[in-house]
Amino acid sequence: MRDRRLQLPQLIITVFLLVLVAAAWLLKMDMAVLFNESLVKLVMNGVLVLSLIPMLNVGAGLNFGLPVGIIGGLLGMLVAVNFRLTGFYGFFAAILFSLVFCLVLGWVYGLILNRVKGREEIAGTFIGFSFIPLMNYFWTLAPFTNREMLYPIGGQGLRPKISLEKYFNHIVDNLWVIRLGDIEIPFGLLLFFALVCLFLFWYFKTKIGRAIIAVGENEAFAKLSGIDIARTRLTAIIISTVIAGAGICIYTQSYGFIQLYDAPLSMAFPAISAILIGGSSGKRTFVFEAVLGTYLLQSLYLLTVPIANELLIPELTEILRTFVTYGIILYALLVREKGRRSVL
Amino acid sequence: MENLLQIKNLSKSYYGNPALKNIDLTVEAGEIHGIVGANGSGKTTLMNILFGNPVIEETGGYQGEIYFAGRRIDLHSCAEAIRQGIGMVHQEFALIPDMTVAENIKLGREKTVAVTERLLGRSYSFVDTRQDRIRAEKTLQKLDIELDAGIKVMDLSINLKQFVEIAREIDRADLKLLILDEPTSVLNKNDGIHLLKILQDMAARGIGILFISHRLEEIHQVCHRVSVFRDGELVSRYDQGGFSVNDLARDMIGYIVSKAAAEKRNITRRPVISFEHFSVNMPGEEIRDLALSVYQGEILGLTSLSGHGKLALGYGMMGMYPVSGSVTYENETLARINARANIIKGMYVLPDDRHNLGILADQSLQENIIFTANQIKGKFSLNSFFRSLGLLDRRQAKLHVEKMIRDFDIKCTSADQKVKELSGGNQQKVCIARALTVEPRLLFVAEPTRGVDIAAKEKILNMLIEINRSQGTTIIIASSELDELKRVCDRIAVMVEGKVFKILSPNASEVEFGLALSGEEEVRYA
Repeated sequence: MRDRRLQLPQLIITVFLLVLVAAAWLLKMDMAVLFNESLVKLVMNGVLVLSLIPMLNVGAGLNFGLPVGIIGGLLGMLVAVNFRLTGFYGFFAAILFSLVFCLVLGWVYGLILNRVKGREEIAGTFIGFSFIPLMNYFWTLAPFTNREMLYPIGGQGLRPKISLEKYFNHIVDNLWVIRLGDIEIPFGLLLFFALVCLFLFWYFKTKIGRAIIAVGENEAFAKLSGIDIARTRLTAIIISTVIAGAGICIYTQSYGFIQLYDAPLSMAFPAISAILIGGSSGKRTFVFEAVLGTYLLQSLYLLTVPIANELLIPELTEILRTFVTYGIILYALLVREKGRRSVL
Repeated sequence: MENLLQIKNLSKSYYGNPALKNIDLTVEAGEIHGIVGANGSGKTTLMNILFGNPVIEETGGYQGEIYFAGRRIDLHSCAEAIRQGIGMVHQEFALIPDMTVAENIKLGREKTVAVTERLLGRSYSFVDTRQDRIRAEKTLQKLDIELDAGIKVMDLSINLKQFVEIAREIDRADLKLLILDEPTSVLNKNDGIHLLKILQDMAARGIGILFISHRLEEIHQVCHRVSVFRDGELVSRYDQGGFSVNDLARDMIGYIVSKAAAEKRNITRRPVISFEHFSVNMPGEEIRDLALSVYQGEILGLTSLSGHGKLALGYGMMGMYPVSGSVTYENETLARINARANIIKGMYVLPDDRHNLGILADQSLQENIIFTANQIKGKFSLNSFFRSLGLLDRRQAKLHVEKMIRDFDIKCTSADQKVKELSGGNQQKVCIARALTVEPRLLFVAEPTRGVDIAAKEKILNMLIEINRSQGTTIIIASSELDELKRVCDRIAVMVEGKVFKILSPNASEVEFGLALSGEEEVRYA
């Protein structure tokens, strides 16, 4: 069986989190509100984290090219807003549109990654870096017509932040909220998350899912067994991209604004950080690890803001966050190198 | 004589599985001490402890005491072991392919230009390559080997690489104990004898030698004392002259092995597969312009010296390497090689490189055994609208896997155990079980008994015979173990330089095989 012991980064984060919870309690913060918010944050970021799993399992590493899927999702939402689709109707239309965009983008992304086998992580990083400026041109030139999306002066080009106030702001957050005293459980939101988790769980039990895992573990073996490596990898990469598209939709409805231009650039890192905290080693990863990692990291983010505001200078929060996010990635890379060496 | 190395009560376990139990062992200066044991008997673990391999410490260290040259030692790295005067010749070469022979031999002990060493310190001083080369060649001459020390190691044959590795150890002035891990397994017979001679010379100069080998005859020939390991325990120890090869074999296994053998048949019905002008571009094992027909229902042996192409045939059929030429399978000419299509048509390949090609190490026995049949032939799949989204029929799969485990006597805790936790022989059985699950009509097997202990070896050969006789599967076994091929095969094709040089009957004499392997037509009596 897999070694289920709590690993060092998880331990550090958990201890740190407990200290923060204790501090929050001592500072007499509203624990119920914090808990409620932690659940929303889990789902808000969790789907993006889950989207990393198919690529990890097929052996394409951590998806540093997450912006590709995010842009697919943004496109989907923009189309929905452009047609002034509101409410649930608008949200699901956005997901549906983003599905289409992500299929195409994921396919192209997969073809590129298949040509840089073994160096997907660094290639993905730069695909993200080069794709975003390209899209920046697109955002300024795209023929969208809804005035609320465009710069108010001149009426040309999309705004960096498009409000969803009139469309599907918090639409899933507020679905079927169960109230137990002060505690509010966003049942609809958690259900949506559970469905994505279940989908992944089921997918890796199917024939193609098990082929993906085999390719990720031992490509030569899979090839000898007649598996089409390129196609299997492509499938996994497309699935990753599609889930990332849905992920940004759920994120955006919680956040309230569609963020364009350079915003997607930095979104890959917290997601990757989260899955690493959850215990992924950059190879086969389980849904549970993604969920655990997201909850730990997001709760940490959530708690540092008010506590740092109380105790320290406010600016420190952002520094701490950034440090944790990148530090965890560095730590994971170090651990992975060590694992590689001891094989020899 | 004084004990150079003394091991007292040495025990080691990996994650609770004992690998060595209370071993006591001594090596005197000038002694060749042989160690024999089946796979998984703890030989390699012992070597790792003695050579300070960090693996030991990472997995929790060992219990017991080791004394070397009178002092107690506790090694944590190979560098420490080397400083103490312990040398090791590895089973897999520890040479740097891009460096020349001289550089490899003198690595870490380079002769440097004195002035620069004083000015810049040892690490930044100029290496006197000319001197190094002369000295390296001198060392090689000690081994009776004529070799230009300026050649890069990657351009050498396997035999020569082994000697370079030994030369590197002999070159050390401070060498007191040399550990050799299966040094002769890659050598041909003459070079093997040559190596034994070198070892005897070294021992005569007072160096203690710990010699691990699968070749019992060699042990019998050169060792002053022999320790036999079984399941991590020391089962017996013999002095030179006080034992026979059969004693060793019996102690290693614990019981007498009955050898697999199949009746020879003469099958010339219809060919199941024919190759014409067939070439496979597998680096180091190229097949060039092969012409061969394999008959329905036979077991064909394929042998050659290493590098002459016996392994490439199966890989070529699975599209692992580029191929050209024509293949006719079941009266149908294959236009191009497609692994999936070929498996569906009834071919399957068991690779020689089990670790890298043969198993999904991190997955269960069950997943390993059913993988190909499930993926390619849709066996054990529950019905589903899209076939690729079908879930596994776990009950069926489990039934089948458990039957396989029983039939083939695969030693495991359950069908859910990870394959990497099994021994080499049992992993090979898992591979064969997977092949059987695919129900192939034509099975390519490469080196089925490599790295497998004697008992498992016979079991595996028997499995192959059984598959052939009961299901009529045509089997092509590529192997360098001529003795095994002769017992199992109906015909044996000898390959030289990527072509079939001669097809011999298994009853042909050793001399005929020897001549064919080296590409000689007939013995000419002039």
